[in-house]
Amino acid sequence: MSDALRQSLDLSVFWEYRAVLLHGLAVNFYVFAASAVVALGIGLGAALLRVSRLAPVRWIGTVHVEIFRNAPEYIMVVWVHFVLPLLLSLLLARRLEFDPFVSSVIALGFVYSGYFAETFRAGIEAIPRAHIEAGRACGMPERLILWRIVLPQVVRRMLPESLNQFISLFKATTIVSLIAVPDLMYQVTMVTQQEMRPLPLYTGAALVYFTVIFAAGTLLRALSERWRSKIYA
Amino acid sequence: MINHSFERRSFRVPTTAQGAAVNAADAPNIRVVDLHKRFGALEVLRGVSFEVHRGNVLSMIGASGSGKSTLLRCINHLETPTSGDVLIEGRSLVYRDADGKRAPRSLAEINRMRRELGMVFQQFNLWPHMTALGNVIEAPIRVRRMARKEAVELGEECLRRVHLGEKSHEYPARLSGGQQQRVAIARALAMQPKAMLFDEPTSSLDPELTEEVLGVMRELARDGTTMIVVTHEMGFAREVSDRVMFLNDGLIEEEGPPQQIFGAARSPRLRQFISKYLH
Repeated sequence: MSDALRQSLDLSVFWEYRAVLLHGLAVNFYVFAASAVVALGIGLGAALLRVSRLAPVRWIGTVHVEIFRNAPEYIMVVWVHFVLPLLLSLLLARRLEFDPFVSSVIALGFVYSGYFAETFRAGIEAIPRAHIEAGRACGMPERLILWRIVLPQVVRRMLPESLNQFISLFKATTIVSLIAVPDLMYQVTMVTQQEMRPLPLYTGAALVYFTVIFAAGTLLRALSERWRSKIYA
Repeated sequence: MINHSFERRSFRVPTTAQGAAVNAADAPNIRVVDLHKRFGALEVLRGVSFEVHRGNVLSMIGASGSGKSTLLRCINHLETPTSGDVLIEGRSLVYRDADGKRAPRSLAEINRMRRELGMVFQQFNLWPHMTALGNVIEAPIRVRRMARKEAVELGEECLRRVHLGEKSHEYPARLSGGQQQRVAIARALAMQPKAMLFDEPTSSLDPELTEEVLGVMRELARDGTTMIVVTHEMGFAREVSDRVMFLNDGLIEEEGPPQQIFGAARSPRLRQFISKYLH
């Protein structure tokens, strides 16, 4: 009994396949990085719409945020990968297929743009009007005030909240295995089918994800605290 | 607290009680014409007109809610006047001439004209993510397109002028209120404006720190800076201003040289106000 238990708890098989599994983890990072860029870019755009003076512009931003915040990541990924190409094919009268990597980046990017939009909006609205007036009094145009005075402060203010969003995004990249993106979970599934030893493999994967997130999170929190403490003394 | 050794430069034009320019060639730097400002149903400014000449210091005093701050903010268009005009060196800040008809000025034009007016706020309004020097050189670099090296030199000169030369690399969070306000003054000076507007610059400061800021303002006045100061510091108004304006309920109740306002006030409301403040 203990022999079988010892055998099933043996993580060496995880170590054996480390090259393939490491490639998988790298794919997780690529998806994460690309989705983060998309999410930040679209999120910032949506946030700026939300704080506009014009009501219809604000409405567009709100619609975007509500749709994507309330969409589960898995469903979005599947929809973008399987349904969207069909719709576009009908529209453009051409047969379209999305690369699974592209689908996952689009899907995760849009879903998380909803969260980042709210994060940015809260940050922008927290900037005292006084700072903006000081910029105006110096003759600064609105766009300059946004880029040089509002956004730098928003980034610093919202960094802790954003770190949490980034961690969620990284964890969400694990679902891309379901549309055959060769990430860590996908590789683990493949190896398990070959080796028939799910326990060390899945446990190993879980440990890897945990370690990466914990280490990166701790390091980034420490760095961001030092950066923020300069102005929030 | 009042600096009795204060001397004024002799060539500054002392204006008469009616506000007319003694020297015809000395065109008014800032002119406000029949300014009205309404916030919804509340009319805060009910027809204010006055002039400020180059190199002169105008103090605005009055009770809270009299419209002093609103008036000041209309002068650099932080508030849009409901009607009336503000002229900076003869050019309207509020309207432009569009084929003989009057149209509101575009925001870009207003921003360009705002460069000539420096403003100092009650709450300092420094940008916390930049150092003192960063705050001071931001506008010269980005708005006046000055080269960085030149701007840094200008910035350090401005900070030295407000006696904060050694603090140029500190962040605002590390500076006292008086130091922050002086950085704010340096920031306004760095744009080399034609006139400086002060909106209750010492109202958030305790008496010690108030004095260091007032000292800087006195030096600016002595150097011939055109200044409009909204203040509760009666001593400063009496000692440093060329003219004092008493606002009450959205109108200029009385206006004239400090000796008249503080010594021989004509309006009873003004006399009441003065007696409350100067005890």
